[in-house]
Amino acid sequence: MGQEPLTYAFSLRSDISELQTLGRRLESIGVDLKLSKRCLFELNLALDELFTNIISYGYGDGHEHRIEVTLQADERMLNVTIEDDGVAFNPVERQAPCLPHSVDDCRVGGLGIHLIRNLMDEVCYRREGQKNILTLKKKIETISSHPYETGA
Amino acid sequence: MDIAEEKQAGVHAFKLKGRLDSNTSLAFEQRLFESITNGTKNVIIDFKELDYISSAGLRVILKATKALKRENGKIMLCAMQDYVKEVFEIAGFDAFLPIVPTLDDARRAL
Repeated sequence: MGQEPLTYAFSLRSDISELQTLGRRLESIGVDLKLSKRCLFELNLALDELFTNIISYGYGDGHEHRIEVTLQADERMLNVTIEDDGVAFNPVERQAPCLPHSVDDCRVGGLGIHLIRNLMDEVCYRREGQKNILTLKKKIETISSHPYETGA
Repeated sequence: MDIAEEKQAGVHAFKLKGRLDSNTSLAFEQRLFESITNGTKNVIIDFKELDYISSAGLRVILKATKALKRENGKIMLCAMQDYVKEVFEIAGFDAFLPIVPTLDDARRAL
């Protein structure tokens, strides 16, 4: 026991096409950590929603920015940190949207953040200097720990 | 993402393959709305080979559902991976969107 946690770090340009890079990076980390398809999907979805939010609302200057992503994995938990230098934005303090009863009262605002909060085990926000720092925790589910998944 | 289309007996089926996210949702939205504008009333979206969906994808489905409702049309979703279905459930979309196990089920329901 007491293994050193594995660390993965990469950065993304503030461009929507970088969603592909994010997907590819997470895919290879998923293979490395033997994450179940569901676990990898949920991780990818949470980071996709965050990244898309940051580049949609975080910058108004037309310049290219970098969003830094760090993942640390021990036997049980994934700890993810996302740092950006966009405008201060705390997704944790947003009210959860009311879930719709019919198509007419269904609104899409806040949906991404609602998904993040439901897919992650913990979401924390802090502002440090000019940076938004979001930390996420997710319990690891590996292929072997999931009896119904073959990994095929 | 690849989109295969199939028209049969007044039903327009869209078979999605790959990833439906902010990068690909616009292309899908255009294909869907071209069909609705041309008078399609019954739409099936087949998720069998779709590996990934984000809120951008949910938005397109919601928009199409509203447009079809205005035209007295119908939409059916089918063959989702369990983790894709979970996203619809978390978003609360399963309250008003019919999600069935297979493409045949969807055809029978229209």
